[in-house]
Amino acid sequence: MSADAITQNPGVTPGVEKKAFAVRLSWQWAAFGAIALAACGHLLIKLGLSSAAHHAALSGLADKVSLYLFHSALPLGLAVYGIGTLLWIKAVSSRNISFLYPLTALNYVIVSIGGKLFFNETISTGRWIGIAVVVLGVALLQRSVKEDQP
Amino acid sequence: MTPTAALWISIVLGACAQVFLKRGVSPEGGTPPSGLALLRSRWVLAWGASFVIATGLWLVGLSRMEISYAFPLLSMGYPIVAVLSMLFLKERVTPARWIAILIITAGVAIIWRTA
Repeated sequence: MSADAITQNPGVTPGVEKKAFAVRLSWQWAAFGAIALAACGHLLIKLGLSSAAHHAALSGLADKVSLYLFHSALPLGLAVYGIGTLLWIKAVSSRNISFLYPLTALNYVIVSIGGKLFFNETISTGRWIGIAVVVLGVALLQRSVKEDQP
Repeated sequence: MTPTAALWISIVLGACAQVFLKRGVSPEGGTPPSGLALLRSRWVLAWGASFVIATGLWLVGLSRMEISYAFPLLSMGYPIVAVLSMLFLKERVTPARWIAILIITAGVAIIWRTA
C-alpha cells in the first residue's frame, strides 16, 4: 500500500482517530452514567420510603406526607433517576438500541450489591450466579459494539 | 384482563418504548432533535406514554401475581427489543450479539428466579 493510499484512508489519519475516541468515550459515559444513576436513584427511593415509613409510625397524615415529599431521600432519588433518563436519551442517540438496552441489566447488579452494602440485604448464591452471568453477557456484548455503523 | 396478559403487554410495550425513543432521537433522514425540541417529536412522546402505560400495567399484573413468576419475565425485554430493532430500525444484530443478549436474558432470569 502506497503512502498516498494510507493518507486517503480516513481510518488511519491521526485526527479522525482522535475524534472516534472522543465519540466513544462520550457514549460510554452517557450509557454507564445513565445505568449507574438509575440504580442510585432506586437505592435513594428505597432509602426515602423506608425512612419515611419508619418516622411515619410516630406522626399524623400531614407529617407523613411532608416526610415523603420533603424530608426523605425520595425526591433526591427521583431527581437522580431523572438525570439518568436524560443521559440515557443522549446514549440512545449515538448507539444502536439492540446494543444499549441489554446493558441496562447491570442495573440489577448495582442495585443488588447496593442493597447488600447499604441495607444489609442478603444476596443468595443463586443471585450471585445470575449476577456473574449478566456481567459475562455484558462483557461479550461490549465486544460486539465495533460491528455497528456509528 | 388477566394478570398474565397485563404483565406480557407491559413487557412488550416497554420494549416498544425503547424502539420509539431510538426512532425519535435518530430519525431516518433529517436532523436529530435535541434539547426541548425532543418534546415535539411524536416518537419521543410515544416513548413517554408507552413507559407510563407499561409501568401501570406492570403494577396491575404484579399486584395479583407471584413475584417469582412476574420478575423473571422482565428479562424477556432484551430479546424483544433486539427483534423490534431489526424489524423497525433495520439494526443488524449479529450472531455474537444474539449470544450476548441471550446470556444477559438468562442472567436476569436467574437473578429474579432466585431472589
